[in-house]
Amino acid sequence: MNDPKEALYYIDGVDVPETPPARDLDQEPWGETTVVGKPLPRVDGYERVSGTAVYPADMSLPRMLYGAILRCPHPNAVVRSVDTSAAAAMSGVHVVMSGFTPSSRALQAHRQLIESNLFNPHCRHEGETVAAVAADNPYRAQDALRAITVEYDVLPFVADERRALEPDAPQVREGGNQVSDTQQYQRGDIEQGFVEADVVLEEDYRCECEIHTPMELHGCVAQWDGDSLTLWESTQGVYNVQAQAAAALGVPLSKVRVVNRYMGGGFGSKLAAGKYTVIAALLAKEAARPVKLVLTREETLLAVGNRPPSNMHLKVGVKRDGTLTAIQFTGTGTGGSQQAGGTSLLDWIVRDLYVCPNVRTETTDIYINAGPARPFRAPGHPQCSWALEQMMDALAQAIDMDPVELRLRNIPTVSQGRNNIPYTTTGLRACLEEGARSFEWQQTKDAITTESDSHIRRGIGVASGLWVAGGGGPPSTAIVKIYADGSVNLNMGASDIGTGTKTVMAMVVAEELAIAPGDVQIEWADTGSTQYATGSGGSKTVPTESPAVRAAAIDVKAQLLELAAGEMEVDASLLSLADGKVVAGGDSPKEVEISALRSLRRRGSVTGIGYRGPNPSGKAVNPFVAQFCEVEVNTRTGEVNILRFLGAHDSGRVLNLLTYRNQVFGGITMGIGYGMTEQRVLDVDQTGKMANKNWHDYKLPTALDVPADMTCLPIDLNDTEANTTGAKGIGEPATIPTAPAVANAIYNATGVRVTGTPIDPTKLVSALAAARGED
Amino acid sequence: MIPEFNYVRAQSLTEAQQQLSTDGARVCAGGSDLLGCLRDEVFDCSKVVSVTGLDELRGITRSRDGGVNIGALTTIAELAANSTVQELYPGLAQAAAEVASPQLRNQGTIGGNICQKPRCWYYRGEFECLRKGGDTCYAMAGENQYHCILGGYRCYIVHPSDTAPALLALNASVQIAGPRGERVVPIEDFHVAPRDDVQRETVLEDNEIVVAISIPQPASGLRSSYRKVRARGSWDFALAGVALALAFDADRVTGGRVVLSGAAPIPWRSREVENTIIGQRIDATLAREAADAAMSEAAALKNNGYKIPLFKGVIEEQLLAIASA
Repeated sequence: MNDPKEALYYIDGVDVPETPPARDLDQEPWGETTVVGKPLPRVDGYERVSGTAVYPADMSLPRMLYGAILRCPHPNAVVRSVDTSAAAAMSGVHVVMSGFTPSSRALQAHRQLIESNLFNPHCRHEGETVAAVAADNPYRAQDALRAITVEYDVLPFVADERRALEPDAPQVREGGNQVSDTQQYQRGDIEQGFVEADVVLEEDYRCECEIHTPMELHGCVAQWDGDSLTLWESTQGVYNVQAQAAAALGVPLSKVRVVNRYMGGGFGSKLAAGKYTVIAALLAKEAARPVKLVLTREETLLAVGNRPPSNMHLKVGVKRDGTLTAIQFTGTGTGGSQQAGGTSLLDWIVRDLYVCPNVRTETTDIYINAGPARPFRAPGHPQCSWALEQMMDALAQAIDMDPVELRLRNIPTVSQGRNNIPYTTTGLRACLEEGARSFEWQQTKDAITTESDSHIRRGIGVASGLWVAGGGGPPSTAIVKIYADGSVNLNMGASDIGTGTKTVMAMVVAEELAIAPGDVQIEWADTGSTQYATGSGGSKTVPTESPAVRAAAIDVKAQLLELAAGEMEVDASLLSLADGKVVAGGDSPKEVEISALRSLRRRGSVTGIGYRGPNPSGKAVNPFVAQFCEVEVNTRTGEVNILRFLGAHDSGRVLNLLTYRNQVFGGITMGIGYGMTEQRVLDVDQTGKMANKNWHDYKLPTALDVPADMTCLPIDLNDTEANTTGAKGIGEPATIPTAPAVANAIYNATGVRVTGTPIDPTKLVSALAAARGED
Repeated sequence: MIPEFNYVRAQSLTEAQQQLSTDGARVCAGGSDLLGCLRDEVFDCSKVVSVTGLDELRGITRSRDGGVNIGALTTIAELAANSTVQELYPGLAQAAAEVASPQLRNQGTIGGNICQKPRCWYYRGEFECLRKGGDTCYAMAGENQYHCILGGYRCYIVHPSDTAPALLALNASVQIAGPRGERVVPIEDFHVAPRDDVQRETVLEDNEIVVAISIPQPASGLRSSYRKVRARGSWDFALAGVALALAFDADRVTGGRVVLSGAAPIPWRSREVENTIIGQRIDATLAREAADAAMSEAAALKNNGYKIPLFKGVIEEQLLAIASA
């Protein structure tokens, strides 16, 4: 597989046809910038903070009904019958539907709804959809759900992938619980590599299942106008939802409009339409009224995605000089009861992060009776990082080498996982070196080793990483318009999923047109009125969209200057924009207000179109990272206090320092949750149900779990090859090595290595006691 | 979603008791626990009787015997910030400050805090467990990492309160108003162990209300503390906690109580620790001996064996800390 991005199951794996060539305009990399790179606040910050921003769940339309979904309470059951008569007779209840309702049966499930009917007669996970209602208020909708009687044949289940391949395990699907053949990758001679090693270490690692559970619940509002459907949906990709909803409903793309203005987080779980999307559309059609359907928190924890649990074994050989000679990796995982990528990209970091000639990996995806995985902020990578980065730490100790130094000895300049094509830039060395310097790694290490033997111990840890994607690419089309009064409009199809996309793009326009970012009015994420864009996932929104936006701004500027050149009788090449004026340099300086250009007034507006050009061929565009942290561990109780964190990131040019920092701090926070507090708990031995499907028992980190002392250190290598803005993605790399950095710091503090997430006192105190020889 | 119910805001204690005398009525003070239970359908409720209008149940006052009287509607935040409590009973102030999150401490009351329903995820979830009238305790063979290691019997919850262990260590009493007048119950007798009744957490009858909690004057040389270990820095219940109220004469422990939270279905008085340390000077050896003694009767379930070294660690740490305070 030459391009592993094809394995990202949210990217279609189809070559993108060449987009129309950009007009032959100067798109040289920026030198000094006036707006780009500054730490500017969000252009929509006031709206978001004041509450005037309208999210899908805030929508209210005339005669709108409220939808709700009845879900299967069992991990494995066949629906024998659904009696909806009592619900249908209730006052205020307009529609009740189930798998036995003709309108729902007629639907062929779209591929993206994953080989499953809208209301599946065989529910293979807790939370599978069984029936739905629309009523005139949310309370009546819930009452109606309670009035539905379902007869289930409850079947045996398996809820732990570590047991699902045992011969007597219940079968999630016909044909066994292994999803497909074990995926294998090999380069070099692994056995010879181990022979050449001075030290070989082996270890098992496990990462628990993590759930996206974004602040904003999943949901939408559906409204039909004749045979045209409008969906206001909380989504990372309006065009994804359009395609999937249109296919599922059998409606032309042109008759499905999907709008997502403000959004409160997705992390990968909102890249596709949900069953709830199609259900809302069906309910609205049948009721002939708009329907709002917003899931409950419990539903989002059960049924709309997770980062799959991973079981990993690593065997690695190293020479005394730090040369890696062989890496062998075996991983299993589960996407639940569906083909949902239970081991997607699980081995990529092993293949690509460090120089090693001999690598063998095997990954096996397994079915269990649990909710489906969905892409989650760097699929596969935090898991693999958890294993490999702890292993690197152990190897460094085994050969008596500093862990930063061991990593520096193994920096690749080519992508080994892609047959050795070069990276456009690799900042891994700079991330490690400059990060260690800024963190005062060596000084802290020296200070810690001389500390007393109190039961409170300090330690430091490092981990590095890369993200398989992050370069973005075509297609993308953006439009920038200048109106007669000189004001500017940007039209783009991309979502702003909370990361600050709108702000960054406004800054790109502002840079080219010499205006303030706040003066750019933005239309975005609306299939009815904005241009085609791929979903915001894979840390690709900025590197995909910003070159298209820049090209559009350059295009509109060129046209404007041509108009002005005619009126000013100056050659266009001598003109530039400044403060709402066209300025002529050279021997006879003169200037004209844009709003005073007669030809612009006559035309009404000038429209620039920009397309995202191709990525450099034969090169990999990836972001790199090294993170450092210091912890304090109470060795009597296993409590860990993370004192400080530093993230050194090569994500190309920083377009907005403030939103860039937000991503780094947010990624570290999420990584701390992954490493220290979060896990899905299934009642595997009794009922198979999720025990902690609420925000109290599913423990997201709080402000007290993350350090106030966090530093973001951008490493800007001026990647002029990647694209015309030089930016690479930052969202996903920011969370990849966080958890193992903490684990390594805990080891440094205590001499105890915890190989399973999350490292809370329930694990650490036992390990510490065992290390002291207590039971 | 919260089920349909009637709502009454009582104007007097008598009215509150009358309203509570009908079937399906539940008392509501801060509501932070009640509303969660209703939303999770832990129990039925057809009428919510709010007592927030009863101002006489608010506030912290000095009592004639030199102790304090804490009105049941006093919020946890008020308790944590009260200077008298901080001075006389620092362990109680610390326990209050460790409860939940700032929002919940502002909303929750001390009366409600000691009457909380268990946080067991089987009890709160869609499981017909023994405590809810079913025939099985799912925690016995299930996911029991947060369950009890002491005092379990057919049901293996832990008591969720942080303040109750501190109050028990301080020998507090609970004033209860009922239709037949007031009664006073030592907090040591207030909570009901599953061995006595698997479906009750307190001795309160349906139409009784906690009106106040009183704490006697601190004994001479009394030191108190509360320490909580949890999996998350805020909004989390104790994995293990220890409330100490120990009287010292110079550096010798002359009396007092040691109570564990997160250990048992009720706040758990550890007489093993008390017997080990009373009359003694606490040093490293004695602290370890006491910590071991505390766990001598502990019985771990499948996933909560970590609690034994954890309690030993936190008891040892806290005994050494209070001895040198």
